[in-house]
Amino acid sequence: MKSHTLRVLVLLALAVASFQVVFQPVRLDGWRPAWQPPQPRLRLGLDLQGGTRIVLEAERRPGVEVTPDKVDAAMRVIENRIDALGVAEPLLQRQGQDRILVEFPGLQDPQRAKELIGRTALLEFVDTDDQSLPRGAEWLADNRRVRMPDGQIVNLPKKVVVTGADLREARAEFDQQSLQWLVRFRFAGEGARKFEEHTGRSIGEYLTIVLDNRVLSSPVIRARIPGEGVIEGSFTAEEARDLAILLRGGALPVPVRPVEERTVGPTLGRDSIERSLRAGWIAAVAVVLFVTAYYRLPGFLASLSLALYGLLLLALFSLLGATLTLPGIAGVILSFGMAVDGNVIIFEKLKEELRAGKTLRAAVAAGWRRGLVTILDSNVTTLIGAAVLLWLGTGPIRGFAVTLSLGVLASMFTAIVVTRWLVELCADLGLQDRLVRVADLPRRGEVAA
Amino acid sequence: MRAWNLMANRRWLYLASVGIVLASVAGMAVQPALGRPVLNWGVDFTGGTLLTLRFRDRSVSTGQVRAALQPLGLGEAVIQKVQETQDISVRTRHLEPEERRKVEQALRDRVGPFEVLSVDDVGPKIGRELRNIAILGVAVGLALQVVYVSLRFRSVRFALAADVALLHDLLLVLGVFAVTRATVDSSFVAVLLTVVGYSINDTIVVFDRVRENLQLRGREPFPDLVNRSVLEALVRSINTALTTLLAIGSVYLFGGPTVRDFALGLTVAVLTGGWSSVGVASPLLVDLTAWAERRAGRAAPQPTAQPARLSAASRRTRS
Repeated sequence: MKSHTLRVLVLLALAVASFQVVFQPVRLDGWRPAWQPPQPRLRLGLDLQGGTRIVLEAERRPGVEVTPDKVDAAMRVIENRIDALGVAEPLLQRQGQDRILVEFPGLQDPQRAKELIGRTALLEFVDTDDQSLPRGAEWLADNRRVRMPDGQIVNLPKKVVVTGADLREARAEFDQQSLQWLVRFRFAGEGARKFEEHTGRSIGEYLTIVLDNRVLSSPVIRARIPGEGVIEGSFTAEEARDLAILLRGGALPVPVRPVEERTVGPTLGRDSIERSLRAGWIAAVAVVLFVTAYYRLPGFLASLSLALYGLLLLALFSLLGATLTLPGIAGVILSFGMAVDGNVIIFEKLKEELRAGKTLRAAVAAGWRRGLVTILDSNVTTLIGAAVLLWLGTGPIRGFAVTLSLGVLASMFTAIVVTRWLVELCADLGLQDRLVRVADLPRRGEVAA
Repeated sequence: MRAWNLMANRRWLYLASVGIVLASVAGMAVQPALGRPVLNWGVDFTGGTLLTLRFRDRSVSTGQVRAALQPLGLGEAVIQKVQETQDISVRTRHLEPEERRKVEQALRDRVGPFEVLSVDDVGPKIGRELRNIAILGVAVGLALQVVYVSLRFRSVRFALAADVALLHDLLLVLGVFAVTRATVDSSFVAVLLTVVGYSINDTIVVFDRVRENLQLRGREPFPDLVNRSVLEALVRSINTALTTLLAIGSVYLFGGPTVRDFALGLTVAVLTGGWSSVGVASPLLVDLTAWAERRAGRAAPQPTAQPARLSAASRRTRS
């Protein structure tokens, strides 16, 4: 009986600890525990809480080499821009050699964020001599010809005086005189010197301001400028702010472009949570009813161990910081269905052993011993499948694989250990007859417990 | 129940399985004749942009949306209404950010206010990669499991039989997706791997029985022994399939339109995984063993990699 006490304590401790990990009803403030309403503490994927996920790929262009270093540098630039946007809890990750994954939970305007983080933002001050270029004119890739807004192509080599790399500061400003938004900038170091020198030498000529090969404005140089100035371009307030953010964060060392974007609105996310919760409850109740109806008392005990399985699984997610996604929930529910399998396999063997005339104690031992082999073999194959998904998959597939493999592991533990402890406990508590009834023996008197 | 002799009548099992496979292949083959691709590839595979919109006025029709988008020249746009929620989905080629803004603007101006429920925008390159991942994943998963099964059962025959059953299952899932036009997207890759996992899992439980019975009753003729094993494992197979289906079925019924196709795939995976252990893998194991024995009988006796008890049992099959 002593070992039973210990086992029951272990199970209770597991249940309580898991519950605490997942729902945190007790919060520890220093040493004083405080109660708080229990709430599931699980990290939800973007498909459940709403948000945007963008995958950017560094573009391979002639003359621009894509190296992991450059991609990392680009990531830092993007990080700066996101910080400037003030998004809560963004996630940035390099994927493979040349991709950057960006995730924004619950973003209001993903379109704007996407444009902001995807821009190369290479600012150039170009010496165009006596030629003023209209806004929107664009240098072609050879840097020798310009396509005017009306489609006409003009020969004009791009003579870059200085780039945005030396910018020290940039901010949006509303100009009271012209009643226009503009961006004020200031150069530092080498850039400031070059800028001052050029403006001193070329008074009366045009200095064209170009962002990503597109002309923003083309002002005439009126005086020598000591390393600071403004960019005009009939901006809206938002455009001016975004440009300032881009210039402050610096240009991307490699151009990137979005190759994948997924946005889930908050409504759909909420919808999905509600629906999957409902589906989960219904699944759990249906499975418990079925198992208990079919396997009687052992079935009921299996249901108890399934409940512990559910708690353990959630606690594992919580501890590992796994993100719960919609396919992940499907993985949980699938593994819940399969968790029953371990119990079913063992109960079927238990029934056989009982029918073969063994005592309950011997039948339990034999049933679990034989069941263990089957459960191991069948679950390892499932784990192999899940491992392949983990290795290859990204995003939703990974989520499914993570929950499925954790689920399989937890289910093996509960079927092999927990259910057995519960059955043996009941056997010693004098419930042998009820346990034996699982075998549907024609003459119950034959079996000696 | 003991009276059933499935293995003696295994030609009927083969007939049913071949029928299922032929029906699946036919289901896929007729699709091009109906003027559509074999499978309903989603944007995940083909690349493109899929917008799901909820108009404030739920009665907005696909015609209205199509008319509003006509002037934008987006090429072939597929516009559908989700029956259950009355949401509208618009699927086009891969749109640049500027084009997408125009689309949203046009819809707002010409149809009415709406909320963007979800956007899936996938470049063509990603689609190709996903296809490779799917193929590689299934191939690697299969290969690893063959190795595992061969090791655990010390015979390639078990692995071979399990794999033919698995191919049967994969074909059926493909056929069901072709006929129901369920969307083939990235979660389909997970469905395929679930088929791989569940199908083999179920076959192994039956084969595990065969292994156990070989130890206990090696004297029994092999077909009878397999038959006994199948029947003994049947209750477990049915109960497990039932509980798993209860779980997945509730996702299918209550999980909403976003996961419905996924749940459908898993449901088919469980059903066919259970069937093929009985209808494909077991009879094949019987015939493969008989065939190997015939060959061994004709050629000079040679040492085999299988354990002694298996060959002993199989030899008795010949008598």
